[in-house]
Parts: sequence; structure tokens; C-alpha cells
Amino acid sequence: MMVTSRIRLLAVPFLLVLVLAACGGGDDLPATAPGDESAEGTSDADGASLVTLDRVGSEDAPNSFTFQVTQGHSPQAPTPTWAEGFQERYQAWAEENPDWRIDMEVIPAAEVTNNMAVLLEEANVGRAPDCAEVDSFVIAQFIEQDLLQPLNEFFTQEEIDALFPFVKDVVVDDNGDLRAFWWNTDLRVLYYRTDLIPEPPETWDEHIDAALAAEEQDPSVDGYLFNGGRWEATTFDNLAHFWSQGGDLVDEEGRPIFGEGENREYMLNMLNFLQRTVDTGAAPQRVNTIIQYDEFNTAAQAGSVASFLGGHWQYTQLEEILPEEEFNRWDFTMIPGETPEADATGTGGWTFGALTDDPDKLAACADFVKSVYNGPANEITGELPTSTELYDSLETFQSDAFQRFNEFLEFGRARPGVPVYPLISNELQVGIGEMITGQLTPEDVVDRAFSQAMSDYEASQ
Amino acid sequence: MDAPSGNAGDRSSPGTLDDTQQPTSRREGPSSPARARSAHRGGAAPWLIPLLVLVTLFYLYPAVQVLRFSFTDASLLRPTFTYGIDSYTRVLTDPTFFHVLWITLVFVLASIFFQLVLGLTIALAVQRGAQNNLPGTGLFRTLVLSSWVMPGIVIGIVWQIVLNSASYGMINSILGSMGIASVGFLSRPTIALWSVILANVWRGTAFSMILLYAGLQSIDPVLYEAGEVDGATGRQAFWRITLPSLRPVLLINLVLISIQTFNTFDMVLALTGGGPGRATEVLALRTYNVIFDSFSLGEGSVLAVIMLLLSLAFTLIYVRFLSAEERL
Repeated sequence: MMVTSRIRLLAVPFLLVLVLAACGGGDDLPATAPGDESAEGTSDADGASLVTLDRVGSEDAPNSFTFQVTQGHSPQAPTPTWAEGFQERYQAWAEENPDWRIDMEVIPAAEVTNNMAVLLEEANVGRAPDCAEVDSFVIAQFIEQDLLQPLNEFFTQEEIDALFPFVKDVVVDDNGDLRAFWWNTDLRVLYYRTDLIPEPPETWDEHIDAALAAEEQDPSVDGYLFNGGRWEATTFDNLAHFWSQGGDLVDEEGRPIFGEGENREYMLNMLNFLQRTVDTGAAPQRVNTIIQYDEFNTAAQAGSVASFLGGHWQYTQLEEILPEEEFNRWDFTMIPGETPEADATGTGGWTFGALTDDPDKLAACADFVKSVYNGPANEITGELPTSTELYDSLETFQSDAFQRFNEFLEFGRARPGVPVYPLISNELQVGIGEMITGQLTPEDVVDRAFSQAMSDYEASQ
Repeated sequence: MDAPSGNAGDRSSPGTLDDTQQPTSRREGPSSPARARSAHRGGAAPWLIPLLVLVTLFYLYPAVQVLRFSFTDASLLRPTFTYGIDSYTRVLTDPTFFHVLWITLVFVLASIFFQLVLGLTIALAVQRGAQNNLPGTGLFRTLVLSSWVMPGIVIGIVWQIVLNSASYGMINSILGSMGIASVGFLSRPTIALWSVILANVWRGTAFSMILLYAGLQSIDPVLYEAGEVDGATGRQAFWRITLPSLRPVLLINLVLISIQTFNTFDMVLALTGGGPGRATEVLALRTYNVIFDSFSLGEGSVLAVIMLLLSLAFTLIYVRFLSAEERL
């Protein structure tokens, strides 16, 4: 009797596990959270909340769709002016569309990387939000796996044609369908202090010489800083040196080729340049600890850096954090290459994809995204538009600095949206760190990364 | 020594549970206790089922899923996967895995050694301070505890500011003012690992201190008085009375902080990201990186299973210690 009842007791959890496992779980993640009625928000004429922490529109609206967005691009953005700007735009859309409610899922900045992986998993099992903001870095995976609805009917052909070439390459498929709306982009540039580096360097040699001369002029500064720690920017930022020589990481089928033939040479040149910056003292060894762009801002504030490879968004940040006199000493230029003609810069950004196949939800979502993010959001955040049409028409981007960024975008290169890229990036991050501390040679770095990438690629075939 | 009166286990004391039950038992005769036990047994299952369901859903089910995925080549970037032992083969033949295990071993051993030693030192100092009514003892205890309540990510960021190899890093700034060149606390592989250990010890010492302070409070002062009568010095009292009396707490502390340290990853992620190179990549961080940076669910699950087995081993040791001490 006692034995039977123990067996029964033990059987309960195991049966439950079996049932859940048989359902093919592991893929089962919640899609969206329900509205938070207690949240603060703005009110319409009747006093009802239209923009809360996780809802846009009236709570009892007859139609709704689920929407996922990163915190920085929502009314919960940490920058007050951004939060205010998004709040206004969301409110305006809600007032114009009283029949619709948006159930929001806001992704905190710290969870963005994990979330992209989770979203892909959710999309594959049909549990993703109806619309979601997707990092341009992984959008190709969604497109390749046919998880997104075409958006052609919501954008004119002129709007699609005006997209920058590196954007079109990714979001317009072979049939000419627009599979995602890539709404903002960024790029990397070389910032330099004009009092220490009077002429912008155009080549690697010129840059090293200029950095050393700056250190001689002011021994308290580091000549050059770049991302060299364990994070994505270490690979992405520095790949500009590889791309500017004409290098390709993978071929058209997504097979790694960076360790073969000319591409291996280009990669070795890039790594040798990074190694030389440290060996000559133009850059300190501590670049292998830099895992955030903010460190460059801090160094600029402390007056301890002569040049650094940073993001275009740091221009406005420097303007905010530095006294005017100090800010005026800073300028930016295209990332130096092996030769003066070798120009390239890594471009990223954010896209919106429609994961629903409900035509009404798709239309409502496209309308919302267009009304908030196709221009207004660029002006709110200062994040670069992805089309020449918007670049030329939006007031914010008419300044001299933004016009120069626009010129640089011509040389923009996006990361290849292939499954093996994360592994290549990770191996290069580790390799660059080990190379800087003298544990590996540039050849070791390329060969090890290539071998790992090939092994991963072949395993996936 | 007099035993405290009114103890629940003291059958002679008035008003205990035993006293109230005894007359009832007598009235119902010798077969009643067996019947009561039987009824209790039959009635326990429904009460336990909610707990079992919760444990199953939130502990057992995820663990089984991780085990399932470890026998696949699943990637977050591919919708399909096949079953096999390829992920195990790839992980266990990868030299990186053994490097990471070595780093983890050094990190865990060094952390627990310093946490125990420092925790005990601070606990002794706080106890002595309290005994002598030293002002500020409470404040000191609170300050030490503050490091324990901080989230790992915050600790990582704080120590990054403290140990930053740039001239504006807190320690390097002090060194600079004394004319000493900057030290690459986070940029040199060997020093970086010790920097991470330092940050972890800073966080974990408070936990050891709390447990050991509680242990110190439970030592009967009569033992020290007897030692004093016998002419024992302070050092002898420490080795012959304090340490042996603290043995059970020390063992439990050792096992708990081993598990805690072994699972640490958020602090390392914020402090070094595992770098430079792989100099500070511990097993928990490696698991995170493999799943969320390389999107390899299969290999990440293998690492998670290995972590689970190691944590299980620590837990079994803990349970064993606990039952051994209870028997004593």
C-alpha cells in the first residue's frame, strides 16, 4: 500500500516531464505580456491611458497586435528626450487609430543579445510577437528561414529604391520583396584631436606615426584606442580594415573564405596592423580590456586619448559631455586603410519585421512602424536614416557632421547574415585579445578562427 | 550545566506536545498510533502534489530539456536539429574546454580559500569588537554586508572602474600620483584572473563572515573560560577551541561558497567579458557565450549538463556533511 502510494507520488512529476518533453518544449516561451493597467501613461480626452508601460491605445479597443521593441527605441528609453519623443509619437498614433491596441513587450538593453536568439526560436515555433524590432545583424536569419511577411504594399517602390545599397542587399530578397523595414543605421569613424593630430591620417602608417607624435607632444595621452576586448565590436569595428582591402568573410553560399587565398592576406594585414599599434606603443595593451564605447568618451573627458575608433553616435555624446572649447578640438574622418583609397566602415542598425500572417494586424503594424520609425524616430534619436530620401529631407541630418556621415555611408559594409558569422566573430575577438598579449601570432589567429569556422560550417551542412 | 527549562524535547516540562497527546493515546489503546500514522501517510500525497508539480515544472522539466538538447546539434539559427552525441564529442575534444575548466578550478579554489580566511578574520574582529563594545562595529558589519547584497553586474562595473588599466582607473590613478607606472590589472592574462578573483572574494567574503559570525556566537563561552583557567594563550584558544567548534559551519560554508563561486558568471561578464582572450572565461560564462554568442544550443547544453553534474556533486557533499553533523 505504502509502496504503491510512493510510486504514484513519484510518477506525477515524471509523467509531467514526459508529456511536456513530448510536446517538443524548450521552444515554449511566452509571447507577450498582458497590459499593465496600473502603469503610468498619457491620457486621452476621456482620461483613459493611451500609452502605458506595456500598452498603446485603449484597453478595450476591438483589435490588437503584439509588438516587441528595444527599450532605447520606446517611451521607456533611458534618454529623457528620446522617451518624450517616442511617447508623443505613440500617443499620436493611438489617437488616430482608436480601434487598435498594441500590447508591448519592451526589451531592456542588457537583454538584447539573448533576446534576438530567443525571438528567432519563438518565430520558428510560431510564438513570436506579431511585429518585432530585430537587430540588422540577425535579420538575414529571419529572412532566410522565411519567417517574415513581405512589406511591399506598405512602401512605395521609390521608398525601396532610395534605401542605401548595403541595406537593400540584406532586406530586399531575390524576388524584389521588402522583407523587413531597416529604419536606422550607424557607422564607425576615426575620432581625433586636432591639436595633437593636425591632419587626418589616411593610411595605417600615417595613423601610427600620428598617434606616436601625439604621445610625444603630450605624454599623458594614448595615441590610439580601439575596441579589443571580448565583445562583438572588437570584430565588427576592426573588420573595416579587412573590408577596405576588398576582403570577404564568407562566399555567396555562406561558406567561410577569410582563411584562404587573398582573403587570408587581407585578414593578416588587418591583424598585423592591430598588433603594430600595440607593439609600437601607438595603442596601449589595455585596448584588450575595452568592452564598451563609453570608455572612449571617458578617455576623451579625461583628456587621455588622441584618437579612437568609435561610433558616429559618439559625436553628439562628445558634444554633450565636453566643454565647448574641448569639443571643438575633436574632429572625425574615415577609418584609415592600408592605402588612402581603401575605405570601408561597418554599418549596423535596427529593423522591424512582421511575423504575423494576419493581414489586418500586418497592416496596422506596418502603419504604426511607418508613422513612428520612418523618419520621426530618426529625428528623435539622431540615429541615421537608411535612405537618401530621408537623409536629404529630415532637418536633423542637414548639419555638416551628419552630411559627412552620409558621405561615409557610401562605404558601409554590413556583417554577413550567415549562421557561421557569430562563431567567426567570437573566434576573432578571442584571437585579437590573445594576439595583443603576445600569446598568439596573427597567423595563429586567422588559422584557428578559420579552422573553427569551417568545422562549424561543415557540421551545419 | 543546567539544561534550559521548557524545551520541547524535555518530557518532564509542563505543557509540551507529548504531554497533551499521551492521555489521548492511552484512551485509544495500543493500535491507535499505527492507525494515525497510516492515515497521515495516505493523506500526505495530495498535499505534496502542488509542490511536486512546481518542482517538476520549474526545476525538473528545464533540466530534462537541457539534457535532451545536449544530445542534439541544435542551433538557435537553424529550425531543425538531429539527435546524436556530436555535441559531446565537439565539446570534450575542444582544447578550449579544458582551458576553461582549468581557469574555473583556479577561480573557485582561490576564491573559496580567501573568502573563508577573510570571512573568519572579519567575523573574529567583529565579534571581538562587539564584546568590547567598540564603537562602529555595527557599521563595519553593515559595510561588509553591503558588498554581498550588490548584484554581480554592478560589482563587475564597480571593479572595472577600480581596476581600469587607464590612468583614470582608481588604483592606477593612486599609483600614478606616487610616480608608479600603470598596472594592467585587466589587460594582462595572469593578473586579470587574479583581479577577477579579487572582485569575487570582495563579494563573497561577507557571506562567509555572516555564517562564521553566527558560528562564533554559538560557541559556549565556558569553553574559553576553562581554557583561560588552564593557561591557554589566545592562539591556542583559537586552534583548540574556536576552529574545532566552527568545524560544522566551516564545512557547510565551504560547500555553499564552492557552489556559488562555481556558478558565477554575471560579475565576470561585466568585468572582463572573459578576456583578455580566454584568460578569465569560467565555465558558467563559457556556457552563456556558447549559447548566446555562438547560438549553439547543443554544445551550450552539454556544458550546462557538465555544470549540473559538478554542482550536483557539490550538493551531495553538502548533504553528506549536513547529515554527518546532524548525527554528531
